[in-house]
Amino acid sequence: MAETAAGGKPLSWRLIDGVDRLVAAAWPRGLHGMNGYLFLLPAVALVFILVIGLGYMVEFSLHELDLATYRLKEAYSLTNYQTFFERPVYIRVLWRSLLAAAIVTLITLVLAFPYAYLMVRTTSAATRKFLLVALFLPFFIGQVVRAYGWLIILGKEGLLNSIVTGIGLPPLDLIYNYPAVILGLVQYMLPFAVLLLTPAVAAIGEDIELASESLGATWIGTFRHVVIPMAKPGIIGAGIVVFTLTLTDFAMPEILGGGTSDFIANAIYDSYFQISNIGLGSALSIVLTLVGSALVALMLMIAGTGTLGFAERKS
Amino acid sequence: MSGGRSKAVVLWGLTVFSLVLLSFPTLIIIGASFTSGDIIRFPPEGFSLRWYERLWQLDSFKDALLRTVYVSVVCTLVSIPAGTLAALGILRYRIRFRRSLQVYLLLPFTIPLVVSGLGMLIFFGELRILGSLWPVGVALCVINLPFMIWAVSASANALDSELENAAANCGAPPVVVFFTVTLPAVMPGVITGALLMFILAFNEFLVSLFLVDSRIVTLPVQIYNSIRSVITPDLAAVSVVYILIAVLAVWLLDRLVGLEIFLRSK
Repeated sequence: MAETAAGGKPLSWRLIDGVDRLVAAAWPRGLHGMNGYLFLLPAVALVFILVIGLGYMVEFSLHELDLATYRLKEAYSLTNYQTFFERPVYIRVLWRSLLAAAIVTLITLVLAFPYAYLMVRTTSAATRKFLLVALFLPFFIGQVVRAYGWLIILGKEGLLNSIVTGIGLPPLDLIYNYPAVILGLVQYMLPFAVLLLTPAVAAIGEDIELASESLGATWIGTFRHVVIPMAKPGIIGAGIVVFTLTLTDFAMPEILGGGTSDFIANAIYDSYFQISNIGLGSALSIVLTLVGSALVALMLMIAGTGTLGFAERKS
Repeated sequence: MSGGRSKAVVLWGLTVFSLVLLSFPTLIIIGASFTSGDIIRFPPEGFSLRWYERLWQLDSFKDALLRTVYVSVVCTLVSIPAGTLAALGILRYRIRFRRSLQVYLLLPFTIPLVVSGLGMLIFFGELRILGSLWPVGVALCVINLPFMIWAVSASANALDSELENAAANCGAPPVVVFFTVTLPAVMPGVITGALLMFILAFNEFLVSLFLVDSRIVTLPVQIYNSIRSVITPDLAAVSVVYILIAVLAVWLLDRLVGLEIFLRSK
């Protein structure tokens, strides 16, 4: 019976049957309750690489550098963390990063919200496509290339300075300063923010807005009391992503700041590769991770719902 | 519609500003790459393709490009099964500690990139696999994995568990159900995620900076290392390669799943 059936089946069927029997042998039905965990295993293992790395850095951060041998001392101590709090330079760097994160988040949200709103609401398919393409194109171009573009525009002999000197004015210092870093970061964060805001805006029914306006609200009133409150989860999600990505950024302060506007990531890089103090660099890394996670947790607590989670299970 | 006009002016004003901000660097790079001068200057000295020609003759560029493609392919190949299965695991199965697992799987986003990069530098150093290219691909997969999981779980709304049950009722074994019902349903998400993973790996710079050395340097790191205060047009030509690849990726994404997929409400 089995033989004739197998003989009559196409090869692909027999192949699938074979695979199925193999799976059934390796993974008996009794274990099917574990399927979900089996599915999650590869991703959990991959992310565990980060946990191990973080573990190494916690360990390194607890050992002081021995300046005689340039190795970490055996004894455990909190000296590296003490150094962070005692050296004004690190506190200054931390404040600079936090301030930049706040400024960039604010500007980016103000720019991203209208973009997302128009992209959702526009009646013209061509306009929508144009806005999408203009958003995705820079999203798919990395930070280094985009920073390079700003160098050409803002540099000493760049585009803007050529115009300035062309009309007879002295050249301006547009590059290697804090505003240049902010500008580069806003441009880098815009696509992230718009893409995170769009689903929230799309969820607001246009009829609700029309209802508000037909009851006499101005569009500003409608925005303040209807649209923005309803989009709040998306705004918070986008704000958190932009804030943490800015806080921990390396490339923009490095390339557009030119050493004048270092963020914590640059200080970490320097302690690892310039002054070769991996204990101190690790301590800075742990501080940055904790500050970032604490701020995210705080924002989520104040704002309530977490919007960063993956799609919820449908029951 | 008295307020309609001021609304349009304000919203479009801000959006046009964003559009300029988003496109300006790209357009300038494209323009600068065609100069015939030795440095980038305005107004440009003339039109030529000499920098592209030079690029084409530069073995170091071609090698770095090939390495970057290799790293991105490794990243994508690892993340497709890992991310797809993880998304399905979370969505389709009864999992204990679901919330904690979701937070855990978001670690690549919550741990700062510089910390992840250094952590992997230390760990890979201990494993003595630094100096090879494939660990770089795995590292780039790890730091961007939530994108893949997100893309697949976002498309899993299209997945109807009744369909899977129906297939099973008709006698289809679990493996067949998975490959003929479950997987095709989330395919748009898998494609979106894979494309994102490839392009992000292709562009990733900071983690790559830690994990590559001068013998296996990848393109983003090479661009970073070559950025000097004097801006030479050869880098502009390299950057245009990146812009072209981004154009290709946007076109592919639009053809395969449609960019409008990102406009859907949750």
